[in-house]
Amino acid sequence: MIEFNIDRWHAWAPGIDSPDTWSRWSAAPWQPPASPDLQPDVSFLPAMQRRRLSPLARMAFAVAWPLAEDHGPMPLVYASRHGETPRNYELLCELARGEELSPTQFSLSVHNAIIGLWSIMRGDTSEMSALSAEADGLEHALLEACALLDEGAPRVLLMITEGVQPEPYQPWIDDAPFPYALALVISPGRQWRLTLDSAAGATEPSTWPHALNLVRALLGDAGMPVHSCRGRHWHWHAAP
Amino acid sequence: MSDLQHEIKQLIIDALGLEDMGPDDIGSDQTLFGEGLGLDSVDALELGLAIQKRFGVKIDADSKDTRKHFANVNSLAAFVSAQRAA
Repeated sequence: MIEFNIDRWHAWAPGIDSPDTWSRWSAAPWQPPASPDLQPDVSFLPAMQRRRLSPLARMAFAVAWPLAEDHGPMPLVYASRHGETPRNYELLCELARGEELSPTQFSLSVHNAIIGLWSIMRGDTSEMSALSAEADGLEHALLEACALLDEGAPRVLLMITEGVQPEPYQPWIDDAPFPYALALVISPGRQWRLTLDSAAGATEPSTWPHALNLVRALLGDAGMPVHSCRGRHWHWHAAP
Repeated sequence: MSDLQHEIKQLIIDALGLEDMGPDDIGSDQTLFGEGLGLDSVDALELGLAIQKRFGVKIDADSKDTRKHFANVNSLAAFVSAQRAA
């Protein structure tokens, strides 16, 4: 069992990027349209820094930057199941065509590239980790974050994000129905409790990604989620 | 600005994703790396690859002269011209 407070949150999905649109989505969720024109706003970064950010990195920066501006340096746990698969797929295609690999694509294709860019651009040398778990990356990231709180960090920043997957991979991916990102600032406290029950039982995949079910719970539009993934049942509780 | 210089400037913009810039924003004698345009070591590798692909020239990463060739657009144009003539 882990306990923690959620001090702040900020989320993005295509066309859902304000408190008002999140309230409407949360009350009656819809599948956002797949439109490359709907991109998160990262105009707070200079163009020379922005140019290295993939769509996935832009989402992560857009949700987390305002929270970091308010709180200053803090440890970061980043979780994405699929990560920079579009960059990796591009590199594999270049290899298959016998072409030389782009050094920029190569250096930014690794799973911790986004937290590396975050550390450089924010000038924050706090401890940072990049996780790739299964569909329950949110819960694994919270375990990691609570370990950091237990070691004395006053607060921890979480980034949970999934992007658009390369078309050939899509038939095998069912946990990232559309691009989204959620950033949380968590601190020691007892507002939220997460328990893990590993008893065998029916595993009902959730309709929406875990991070977005949590948004609905935060906004009071849904009951406490139970998230199941391969026999791991995560029970969310909020203090009354 | 010669055609070759113009082509190199456009190549720098395209290869390095300088989305807000045009060829006229890069001075032919402007330092490319560190100070000046502010490019970094990853840009150096990316630009080296782009120059090799576009102009079919060989770049020796260990040669001391390579740093000089990549100083600015003028020196790059002179390098590409010399390699093509060789």
